[in-house]
Amino acid sequence: MIDLLEWKETLAQRGILISFNGTFSHSLIEELGNALKIYLEGARLRTGIVTDVFAVYIEQTQNVRNYVQRRQLVTVGHDAAIVIIGQSSGFYTISAGNVIETSDVSALRERLEEANALDKDGLKRRYKEELRKDRAPGAVGAGVGILDMARRASGRLEYTFNPIDDVFSFFTLAVTVAGA
Amino acid sequence: MLNIEPTKSTPKVLYLENEKTLEISGESYPENSFTFFEPLFQWLETALPQLTYLTLKVNIRYMNSSSTKCLLDVLDLLVDAQARGTRVSVLWYYEAGNDRALDLAEEFREDLTLSFEIIPLPVGETP
Repeated sequence: MIDLLEWKETLAQRGILISFNGTFSHSLIEELGNALKIYLEGARLRTGIVTDVFAVYIEQTQNVRNYVQRRQLVTVGHDAAIVIIGQSSGFYTISAGNVIETSDVSALRERLEEANALDKDGLKRRYKEELRKDRAPGAVGAGVGILDMARRASGRLEYTFNPIDDVFSFFTLAVTVAGA
Repeated sequence: MLNIEPTKSTPKVLYLENEKTLEISGESYPENSFTFFEPLFQWLETALPQLTYLTLKVNIRYMNSSSTKCLLDVLDLLVDAQARGTRVSVLWYYEAGNDRALDLAEEFREDLTLSFEIIPLPVGETP
């Protein structure tokens, strides 16, 4: 049997507020979001910071859900994903991990690197340009989630790609927001 | 007739005929923003050409990036309507003290040639 007390203490030591591993549905995203909001409101942060943390959580989880649907990953048993929200020395980190097709890695890496290379004004300009573009047929998102998160992040977007097999890789993205 | 009830992740969208006022309020991170806002776009397409004036009141606490795109598209339609003779004014409410919400409002305003008022609301109050 898993020692859940020990597990709970490990989570507390690592500052993990919320951790979920499974399929992201819209209602799950809503419910975890509610739990997060209640936590953040209790922490008495500035409202702008609550907005930033919540916004990054929504962009992360909706990006994963949209990707899993677009690539129909449920049909290959790769629809489960992880989201973890942690707090450490006044910084909030929202991490999400999901399986992606390895053929999508280079384009995704390019977009992450582009966002990391831009300063505040550059990010704003690119964000607005992308918002003004006509949306792609059948697209569910506006294609600006990464830029939106980069604008709210206190530093670089941290990411890794781990190969799983010939076709799939595991993508992890961690976005940190300053709590003050 | 446009009256969409709010949910946890979708805003209230309501048109008040007597006041020629369109209200969008609540939170906006729908499962699919483009599908959610489609009835509003359809309504705007038919209603806007008939209106001599329109007030848009926006009071959204949080909107995700795809909702932001939809709102921008709504405002673009209002700019077009203004060019065709409809008097348009936008009242954009935000929670006082939420600097992020203020930034967002200002970013919307800076690209638009519309009467666009940004109004802080005391926490917990509705316009």
